[in-house]
Amino acid sequence: MFKKILIANRGEIALRIIRACRELGIKSVSVHSTIDADSLHVRFADESICIGPADPAGSYRNIPSILSAAEITDCEAIHPGYGFLAENANFAEMCETAGIKFIGPTPDNIRLMGDKARAKETMIKAGVPVVPGSKGAVTSEDEILLLAQKIGYPVIIKASAGGGGRGMRVVHSAGSLINSFLMCQSEAVSSFGCPDVYIEKYINEPRHVEIQVMADEHGNVVHLGERDCSIQRRHQKLIEESPSPALTPKIRKKMGEVAVAAAKSVNYMNAGTIEFILAGDQFYFMEMNTRIQVEHPVTEMVTGVDLVKEQIKAASGMPLGFRQEDINITGHSIECRINAEDPEKFTPCPGKITSFNTPGGPGVRVDTAAYGGYTVPPNYDSMIAKLIVYGKDRDEALSRMSRSLEEFIVEGIKTTIPLHQKILKDPIFRSGKFHTGYLEKFLGM
Amino acid sequence: MNLKEIRELIDILKDTDVSELELEKAGTRIKITKANHGGRPLILEQPAHVYAAHPAMPSQAQVQVAQEAAPAARAEDASASNIVVVNSPIVGTFYRSASPDAPSYVEVGDVVKKGQVICIIEAMKLMNEIEAEVNGKIVKVLAENAQPVEYGEPLFHIEPV
Repeated sequence: MFKKILIANRGEIALRIIRACRELGIKSVSVHSTIDADSLHVRFADESICIGPADPAGSYRNIPSILSAAEITDCEAIHPGYGFLAENANFAEMCETAGIKFIGPTPDNIRLMGDKARAKETMIKAGVPVVPGSKGAVTSEDEILLLAQKIGYPVIIKASAGGGGRGMRVVHSAGSLINSFLMCQSEAVSSFGCPDVYIEKYINEPRHVEIQVMADEHGNVVHLGERDCSIQRRHQKLIEESPSPALTPKIRKKMGEVAVAAAKSVNYMNAGTIEFILAGDQFYFMEMNTRIQVEHPVTEMVTGVDLVKEQIKAASGMPLGFRQEDINITGHSIECRINAEDPEKFTPCPGKITSFNTPGGPGVRVDTAAYGGYTVPPNYDSMIAKLIVYGKDRDEALSRMSRSLEEFIVEGIKTTIPLHQKILKDPIFRSGKFHTGYLEKFLGM
Repeated sequence: MNLKEIRELIDILKDTDVSELELEKAGTRIKITKANHGGRPLILEQPAHVYAAHPAMPSQAQVQVAQEAAPAARAEDASASNIVVVNSPIVGTFYRSASPDAPSYVEVGDVVKKGQVICIIEAMKLMNEIEAEVNGKIVKVLAENAQPVEYGEPLFHIEPV
């Protein structure tokens, strides 16, 4: 087992990793930018090193600085958290070269899954259902007509160089296909500088359901159930829950098996998440995230597994402490991401927190690095806390979340707590019958 | 600085994770070090004797009280005057010379030119030469040879000439 780990991150996730280290008897080393000198992750680590200025490029994403910090503190391993360098294959490789264990997947795992086109091809080979579509760019009108017929309408035409919801057109019938195709191509050139477009089956009102997997270095791969992350605004998750109100035991079992097969097919190591689009009882591979995720606590609450400890243990060469048959999803957990933002305009609101009262009582967990008197800096992600609740069923989790949100007092800055309170009251959210377009509709976007 | 204030400083040390405290005030400089990191500093058994009669304490709490002449103390205070503080631009290990047998690049009192190498910081097996940013005289060396330094850590005080 490692004696000392460096945490290459900040905020609540750095604190999360420090907690796991503490409980495992491992010394922790924090790194921080100049502006984060008063952070909790600096205070609670056994040692801390200032690695650069506020700008993440000079500090939290500064590979030489972080590796140097690990060297001078004699750290045996680095946990990258999420964001920053967590999915930087070069960083993972440089850790290896420096003789420091990267707590996460291999550089090859990261590289493969980071290339969306290659990832999709690899999944197809592994027998994972993917959204039916063209292999690469579509270049002729004849080709697109044939493909659309094969896939079945509705279809969506997407710019290869596009993303984030831009450069896309949905086509419902053959009559408008060619026109849309030509318009998409010319828009692609003017917006992204590249005329390449491809075609996919259009999944209407999809849900975003992801499966958590965990692999050790002995070939064991286990899934820990799903998280429903359909409550999103501009592709950013706001609320996550486990289990998904949309899954039957049959679909859950199938998705879990597919996720494990996918992970095994790429010799995946450590923690990862496979994101699927769910439509009815059909699910399709969307992408794989090669890191521990923000919303990992909801899985921890319903399975009783400490995912960060498992990451550390697996990276140290230990076999997983559980088999697939040991994993059961019990009860229901919901997480709300609390951001330092205007709850209506979503503009960031950094500044000094003058009062900070976190909720408590049974089934309540708050993962945060904020405190009364803390100044939220403008340089980083606006998430300041994660409020996670657990109940024996979804109804109890909902009432526990509503109750906890009432108790969560943050003064001095604006937060999205009022928004979460509104969503928790909404009948559609409460019914569990929502899809990824729900929140934007609720917000009148 | 009186006994009560020193006692208060020791209490601060006891109750926090701070392991070393150095304070300069009105010509007096005091440095308190915890005996072992994580341990509690021993309370002086006979504080009255200690401060009146002995400027240097042999006790395990290692309290050093130095009465320094006011002008000398002021010269070492970087926030007064025009002292330029050379801070470490990177994380690494500080070395005063190019190799263990070589002489130090600079000593206190040396006059340096802008661009002159004054120390080395080793990071990931690479030796980074740190240069003086101004012409001036080295008045203080703050980092210890072969010790780790972090980003922004003060290394030298240079008095520009």
